[in-house]
Amino acid sequence: MNELGPVWLTTRREILVRGRSRAFIIGLAVTVLLVVAAVALPRLMGGGGDRYVVGLAGAQSDRLAAVLGAQAEAAEDTELTVVSYPDEAAARAGIESGEVEAAVVDNARLIVAESPGANLRTMLDTAHRIVATEERLRSAGLDPGAVQQAMQVEPLAQVSLSGTSEEEAGTRRMLAMAVVILLFLLIIQACTMVAMGVVEEKGSRIVEILLATIRPAQLLAGKVIGLGVLGLLQIAAIAVAAYAAAQVGGLLPELPEDTPGVLALSVGWFLLGYAFYAVLFAAIASLVSRQEELQSVLTPATLLLMASYFVAIYAVMEPAGTVARVLSIVPPFSAMVMPVRASGGEVPMWETGLAFGLMLLAVLLVLWLGGRVYERAVLRTGARVRIAEVLRAG
Amino acid sequence: MLRIDELRKRYGEKVALDGVSLTVRPGEMFGFVGANGAGKTTTMRIVMGVLQPDGGEVRWQDRPLDFATRRRFGYMPEERGLYAKMRVREQLEYFGRLHGMSPDRARRSADDLIERLGLTERRDTEVERLSLGNQQRVQLAVALVHEPEMLILDEPFSGLDPIAVDALAEVLLERTAAGVPVVFSSHQLELVERLCDSVGIIAGGRMVATGTVAELRARERHKRLRVVLSEAEPGWADRLPGTIVAKDGDEVILEPDDDQAVLLEAMRLGRVEQFGWVEPKLSEIFREAVA
Repeated sequence: MNELGPVWLTTRREILVRGRSRAFIIGLAVTVLLVVAAVALPRLMGGGGDRYVVGLAGAQSDRLAAVLGAQAEAAEDTELTVVSYPDEAAARAGIESGEVEAAVVDNARLIVAESPGANLRTMLDTAHRIVATEERLRSAGLDPGAVQQAMQVEPLAQVSLSGTSEEEAGTRRMLAMAVVILLFLLIIQACTMVAMGVVEEKGSRIVEILLATIRPAQLLAGKVIGLGVLGLLQIAAIAVAAYAAAQVGGLLPELPEDTPGVLALSVGWFLLGYAFYAVLFAAIASLVSRQEELQSVLTPATLLLMASYFVAIYAVMEPAGTVARVLSIVPPFSAMVMPVRASGGEVPMWETGLAFGLMLLAVLLVLWLGGRVYERAVLRTGARVRIAEVLRAG
Repeated sequence: MLRIDELRKRYGEKVALDGVSLTVRPGEMFGFVGANGAGKTTTMRIVMGVLQPDGGEVRWQDRPLDFATRRRFGYMPEERGLYAKMRVREQLEYFGRLHGMSPDRARRSADDLIERLGLTERRDTEVERLSLGNQQRVQLAVALVHEPEMLILDEPFSGLDPIAVDALAEVLLERTAAGVPVVFSSHQLELVERLCDSVGIIAGGRMVATGTVAELRARERHKRLRVVLSEAEPGWADRLPGTIVAKDGDEVILEPDDDQAVLLEAMRLGRVEQFGWVEPKLSEIFREAVA
């Protein structure tokens, strides 16, 4: 068999056996549910946007209804229902009974129970002005069609000097936050599975049978790739669920144009970060023979990952700060900080390139060093192996 | 043919192997016996490449044993290891394929062993839910699934009930009949005596005796006499020239100084019903060799 055959077999085993384990399936289901709930709930609870019911009576009612309808359509979160009354008395009765909250009579008088909200007032005023102006131009003898056409004016186009609007900055922060949390959860989850898998094989001595058959590097590669694929599947499932929930809830915020690019980049960073931490975790795990010892021996590596996470969260708040700029280039912090900066807006090409290059070097270093540790420690069962001892030997 | 030549291994101050040599011929069942800590497991782990020796070498078909060849060996380590969450058949197929079998062949071999070892009803059960005895059968099946050219089994019979022992013994004998050499370690000496063509006794990291069971017996054969007398006066046994090992009614077992002198004396003391050398048991040979 060629060199890759065993890698593929061990990869496949990890995916099949872990993927069907109850812990994995329940974990994924719970995460997807939480994400869907987090996305969909605000819309369901808040009912979303504004709803108005307005009465119309007397002259120019039809034209008013049309203009108001168009306005409501243009404003995204607004729903407006128009009720037509035969005369003013009926409209007043409608207000009193609570059927409508305001009524316009003859496009001249606004009758309300109490003062209307600013939004509604603006809409009604605008419609009133448009319809009244049209009417006057027409009475002045102008062609009604041309008048209507002349009245259709596009809203002001907004040009922001800082590049991003307040609203977009908010959306970008949300996006960055989501990316950080997902990256962190997936890396720590997948790497913990790698570490537990290594100890499972070492503790039960399966590793003796395995290593009489395949090379340590093949075994380790299969495990890391297999669990990495599961991690990516999880990302995909969560992303699809979140997107679908947002679509159904009609809540999808106007995502920045570069979102797909940001997400693709995040997957790239996930792969690098995962490779780094997975091999690190595996090498450390190969030092012990029992799951109970794993937690304590992994602590330094977990702390490093946690530190990256906190720096990344800080970078979400302060994407242009010095800390974020520097640590987005220094590995392994870059794996989590750089995606944050990328989703926060423009990052100079050379910084992204440098960060990627350095992180790649760090991954290669860990592969080389971690591979050596793993190879030498995984067959030494019994008491915990000291890392200095492993590196010195041979 | 497997040749182990002058293997040496030390763990820090402790010498585990002090020049272990042995040979296993094609189709031979080799029983590896010795006290706990004598060096059996260390030797087997070195053969399987799980451990590096400090000195000496292992040769297979007159060439140094390498990784590629070792992949065609079957191995059952001292401490059992299986994937707890994998099903029996799936696990056997996996190991078959890791050894380079095609998916089809791996499946057929797995199904065959499952049937032979009486695991048919447990075929799709996760290993962690099997009884210890059944787990042991699966462990053995893992060592056999890729139709190995050589079997190295560390304590394959420990913890098995008599039925499982028979099933396993039958499978192993079948392999040796096909020319596959088998090395297994055991503390069950009657079993070794019954199954093995050759035996190696190891003590303190050195082979103290190797050979066929008959050869080992021959060494010890002319040691103990069994004498049965009738019509003799009580206390006759004490008059025989030799050291009495056991005495039971008319029967006496003794280590003679001169067997012919014992016979003459016995004839003088009464009627000699039986007189002959005692066939030593493997356990006696073992105690003798290790002492």
